[in-house]
Amino acid sequence: MAPAPWEKAPTSAVSTPARPGRSGRWKFMAGGLLILGAVAFLVLSGTMSGARYFITVDELLANPAKYAGQTVRVSGAVDGATIQYDPEALLITFTVANVPDQTPDLALALHEAVQDPNANRLQIRVENQVKPELLQHEAQALMTGTLGPEGTFHVRELNLKCPTRFTESGPDQSIAQPAEGA
Amino acid sequence: MLAEVGLAALALAFGAATYAVIAALWGALRHREAFIISARNAALLVFPLTLGASLALLIALMTAQYQIAYVWQVTNPNTPDFYRFTALWGSQSGSLLFWNLLMSGFSFVALLINWNSNRRLMPWFIVYTMAVSAFFLGLSLLLENPFARIWIMPDGSVAQTVFIPAGAEGPSAVRLAATARGLNPLLRHFGMIIHPPLLYLGFVSFVIPFAFAMSALASGDLSTNWIKAARRWALIAWLFLSLGLLLGGRWAYDVLGWGGYWGWDPVENAAFIPWLIGTAFLHSVMIQEKRGMLKVWNMFLIIFTFSAVIFGTFATRSGLIDSVHSFAQSSIGGAMFLFWAAVTLVSVGLTLWRWNRGELRSEHGFAGLASRETLFVLNNVVFVALALAIFWGSFGAPILSELVFNTDISLGASYFTQVTAPLFAAMYILMGIAPLSAWGAGSAKRLGRAMVVPFGLTLIALLLIGIAGTRGGGALFAYGIVMLSGFVALYEIGRSGAARARATGENIVQATIALFGRNRRRYGGFIVHLGITVIGLGVIGSTLFQAETQQTLRPGEALQFQDYSMTFQGIDAGQIAEDGRFMDIANLTLARNGAQVASLRPRHDIYPSTEGQQGMTMIIPGSYSTLENDFYVLFVAGQADGSATFKVYINPLINLIWWGGLILIVGTLISAWPAESAPASVRERRRAKPTAAGVVA
Repeated sequence: MAPAPWEKAPTSAVSTPARPGRSGRWKFMAGGLLILGAVAFLVLSGTMSGARYFITVDELLANPAKYAGQTVRVSGAVDGATIQYDPEALLITFTVANVPDQTPDLALALHEAVQDPNANRLQIRVENQVKPELLQHEAQALMTGTLGPEGTFHVRELNLKCPTRFTESGPDQSIAQPAEGA
Repeated sequence: MLAEVGLAALALAFGAATYAVIAALWGALRHREAFIISARNAALLVFPLTLGASLALLIALMTAQYQIAYVWQVTNPNTPDFYRFTALWGSQSGSLLFWNLLMSGFSFVALLINWNSNRRLMPWFIVYTMAVSAFFLGLSLLLENPFARIWIMPDGSVAQTVFIPAGAEGPSAVRLAATARGLNPLLRHFGMIIHPPLLYLGFVSFVIPFAFAMSALASGDLSTNWIKAARRWALIAWLFLSLGLLLGGRWAYDVLGWGGYWGWDPVENAAFIPWLIGTAFLHSVMIQEKRGMLKVWNMFLIIFTFSAVIFGTFATRSGLIDSVHSFAQSSIGGAMFLFWAAVTLVSVGLTLWRWNRGELRSEHGFAGLASRETLFVLNNVVFVALALAIFWGSFGAPILSELVFNTDISLGASYFTQVTAPLFAAMYILMGIAPLSAWGAGSAKRLGRAMVVPFGLTLIALLLIGIAGTRGGGALFAYGIVMLSGFVALYEIGRSGAARARATGENIVQATIALFGRNRRRYGGFIVHLGITVIGLGVIGSTLFQAETQQTLRPGEALQFQDYSMTFQGIDAGQIAEDGRFMDIANLTLARNGAQVASLRPRHDIYPSTEGQQGMTMIIPGSYSTLENDFYVLFVAGQADGSATFKVYINPLINLIWWGGLILIVGTLISAWPAESAPASVRERRRAKPTAAGVVA
């Protein structure tokens, strides 16, 4: 039976053209190199313009001239008593305390950072943003922005991590307390 | 009792999977049929045993067995039954067990379906699937056991162990209930309830095509048998992964309250990378089937798809990265990293070994730049480049910078948009051109002729979009290349349907339906392309033309924004929901061009602080959706004088993203649907004339 005209001729799928000649191979190689070069350029230029130092409050305050005007990402512990929010202007201000870069127990490190009167502190200003629900006392703030000449950190992107919620805290000593009325 | 039953089932499942690996390996290497049969039987036991363990945990969740630490962690007395059920995957150890359940289920079904048709591959298939299962069951058993219980030690301290420590006793039921944590509020959303299972389904089902590929390498059966066995599984895995990603976006849009659906978060990216490489595999594998080419490339694609799945799981579950998605820092990180490295190295080593022996040589060369295989390879290069660029931005650059320069850096959303936009543009252009090209030899001239109608339709559509008020060369260019790929799909379906109608005398609808029946894979693929086109239009519209404003309103006052008018009616404060949270609800009426279209109730969900944990407030948006745009409003805060502040977004075309997802599902199901084994005419003849022996060949 002749193949139905609405279907592609099967011969097109099984034909065996000769392997490309030398000029054909060059074309493929040149094309491949061109694509590789274009992708590498994209990635490199994106990295150069998009890379931000991820630093602690101590590192930022120790060398403000180095980071002045640069977009950097800073991590700090939120001091809940300093949080102020103007919902009409969508303006959030608060203070973060320095948290060490590497810490085995984040919740403990955040708690100690906020309690430590000698820890370096950084004033934060976030404009045009609804107050995130996770902006709480002793939350970890991951902030992308720039340090202003007045020493305030102006945040463009604010991410928060609340250890009491996200670290799936395990059973604690409160379970062992006697039940009320028992 | 439930903990003991669950633990026993989990341990037996681990034992069965481990035995299956050893027996299948021995049977395959020594050609001992009895060992292979024994391995199969053991492999088939893994799923029922894992199901038993999962049911034990589920019953414990539903019946509030708070002495089981996992139940204590993810539920509390206020948790409704529905969320008790979904709490099965609400945290690390439960979700790992759920992961095991899905993986063993897929292996069970694949083993039953393919046992007779792929006998040569199956011993090795058992080795690979059961090795992966044994690893994850081992994690569940040894490092993240969901059946660990809470004990009061003789010295009064609290411990969490699987077996009862000497002298320990159970805490009082009252204290356990009073201190139980409850499910993370962020997870109490329909999208989040089904997003993790779908994503897990996508992740774990890639183990099947991966295992078939590895079986081909190990057994030496390097024909297209493994591809035939694996293709449909790969499509199913790809579908689940697509759905998981889409639903994750929908959850972010509905719950996180920032007006968007994709934030280039490392965990989102970790799920997107296997999707990209898997998409490349689904296209590339066609070239091997049709032309016997790209055998090594296909092996690498399926290996790195699965490798990306394991890496994504490792990144999410190990605490490696900071993300709202990530689980707690966990002890499973090191084991998972080693497993990921071992899987990748062994698989790549096996491929290179076969390649070096000359067993993976291509049967054809590339015929020309305009041939379909060349365009498919280009499309593959784009997908892989996207995957690599996203991997670099999410993991590569930060890790390398830390290791080499001892400096922490991160790449923000600007990196991803800058790098991926041109690559996505290239993907859409190739998606438009490639289906019009021919296998083997193709000429640019012929391709150009085939492009005339779709290109013309695209120009007309762009003109209409311009007349409707869309401005900006970049936006029109983006719309143009995305629509071109959609028009190519429609044109190919329409042209083929019309040709069939002319040839058979059927009407165009009948002819088109018959066309789908004859070649589900090709035309299902066009529907998938249409879905991706619709999603692309939604992404462009909502990204380039999102508008926002904010205003404080007194009751009765209205906010005017574009052609909408939103009137604030007042606040219902202190409403109590079934699960114990409080709700402050803002009542709004929305009018468009003077006609009322909706009542919106954006709200604050307030989870009161309980013993051992802080309270939490979530801002849940209200939205009015049309195909044209979403009016998306956040209730920012209420003031003492009764006024309230609102933030409003108008997100053009955003609903096309979800509709495109539905189209994509339909297309994938058409593509994956099993084909008839023989044409209808042949089947009718067979029915009419049964053979003398009564056997149908």
